[in-house]
Amino acid sequence: MPKVLCSISTRGRYHTTLPLALQAIISQSRSVDKLMIFDDNDEPQDMRKELAYSYFFQMLELKGIAWEWLFAGKKGQHHNHQMANSMGYEWVWRVDDDAIPEPNVLENLLKWTRLDNIGAVGGAILTPPYLPDTSQVTGLIDNIDNEPNIQWNFIYERKDVEHLHCSFLYRAGVADYNTGLSRVAHREETLFTYALRQKGYCILAVPEANTWHMKNPQGGIRSETNHELYSHDEFIFRNFLEHRDKTIVVLNCGMGDHVVFSHVLPEIKNPLVFSCYPDIVPGRSIAEAQWLFGDLDRWNVYKKMDKWRWKDSLETAYRKLYL
Amino acid sequence: MILIAPYAQKLVNGKRNPKNYPFWDEVIAGVAEPIVQVGVEGEAQLVPEFRKNLKIPELRALIRECRIWVSCDSFIQHLGWDEGKQGIVLWSVSDPLIYGHEENINLLKDRANLAKNQFLWWDSVEYDPNKFVQPSEVLRHVC
Repeated sequence: MPKVLCSISTRGRYHTTLPLALQAIISQSRSVDKLMIFDDNDEPQDMRKELAYSYFFQMLELKGIAWEWLFAGKKGQHHNHQMANSMGYEWVWRVDDDAIPEPNVLENLLKWTRLDNIGAVGGAILTPPYLPDTSQVTGLIDNIDNEPNIQWNFIYERKDVEHLHCSFLYRAGVADYNTGLSRVAHREETLFTYALRQKGYCILAVPEANTWHMKNPQGGIRSETNHELYSHDEFIFRNFLEHRDKTIVVLNCGMGDHVVFSHVLPEIKNPLVFSCYPDIVPGRSIAEAQWLFGDLDRWNVYKKMDKWRWKDSLETAYRKLYL
Repeated sequence: MILIAPYAQKLVNGKRNPKNYPFWDEVIAGVAEPIVQVGVEGEAQLVPEFRKNLKIPELRALIRECRIWVSCDSFIQHLGWDEGKQGIVLWSVSDPLIYGHEENINLLKDRANLAKNQFLWWDSVEYDPNKFVQPSEVLRHVC
């Protein structure tokens, strides 16, 4: 049985949709192995004092579900989901704090992970009364501006797509959330699932896994009214789209590392290089990479080697990162 | 001519880099041929000929010209490898299996001395001269 962590990041919804989401998670026909609640509220509270919550925690304990309530860094849900992504679980089921999954969602999402090479699986995310026609939807990133998301209506058959949103089950530790996005984390789940796709994994939209999205005008990212934050994130998203056919290389490291990397570069398909030492490896500046893509950690070979508990050579680590 | 690159990059915390070899004076005293030191401004001069802040093509030319080069775990060990010129690397806390090249002569006293985490900044690792090989071991390979 694969181990599943449920990750929920919450802000401004203590007394509206969060309790419904928690109740729905506790009531899944296939229990999660651990529930991780990242409390991103501006003024976090000790919810053990609240009657409903105190019962939730007791229910979790009686059902043998580990749980943790973490007062998070108020930097946005993408930072919290990235923590969940690197907690050592094979799968993470991310649930928004205004999304109410039906009791069979996790069980049915998990069934699809038995197929080879699955990166993420998502079901319908239904926001009453909105129910657009998704019968012709492709789910391709190229069409993101021209079609509704396939998850916005009931899904009747499995479909391979390139991105998901809101709530889904994903293979942990493969791709990174872009923590360079602003606190509103606009497009974060699209970027994340597309990154999984770019790593060569399948992204599926599947039937019989319905989640009701009680889209709340208050709380969550909708607490932020600063449109500059959305513009910033949209800019980063568009840059990823624009360069999606390239292998982005960011060498924010030492001179020797550049020399080692130069032996890997000829094998990289269609590289777009950003370099600290263009006299060793020609490229555009690191500052430009930061501006275009927000967060550069996904290209930090030292962080990667640490995460991989690396014992092999630096050159081999570069091959793993870029080939 | 022997080329030496005695120092690794300066640490942000100002402390001595734990990768810097402590017995250069003894090694230099044991070498009978000319030595050229390369490095950057601010590093201690160990031999009469110290060429500072060279550009990479100039460093490459010196590597090609020298009989052998000797360095700690720093840029020169990668550049020498890139030039296909074998040299001697003096290791202490960083792991030659990760950061080294098997084409070089990698002198590591004991793998037990390696820093537990190889991927943090070297600022967090204490300097310890006992973690390096003795000068006699270096000279055995140089001469």
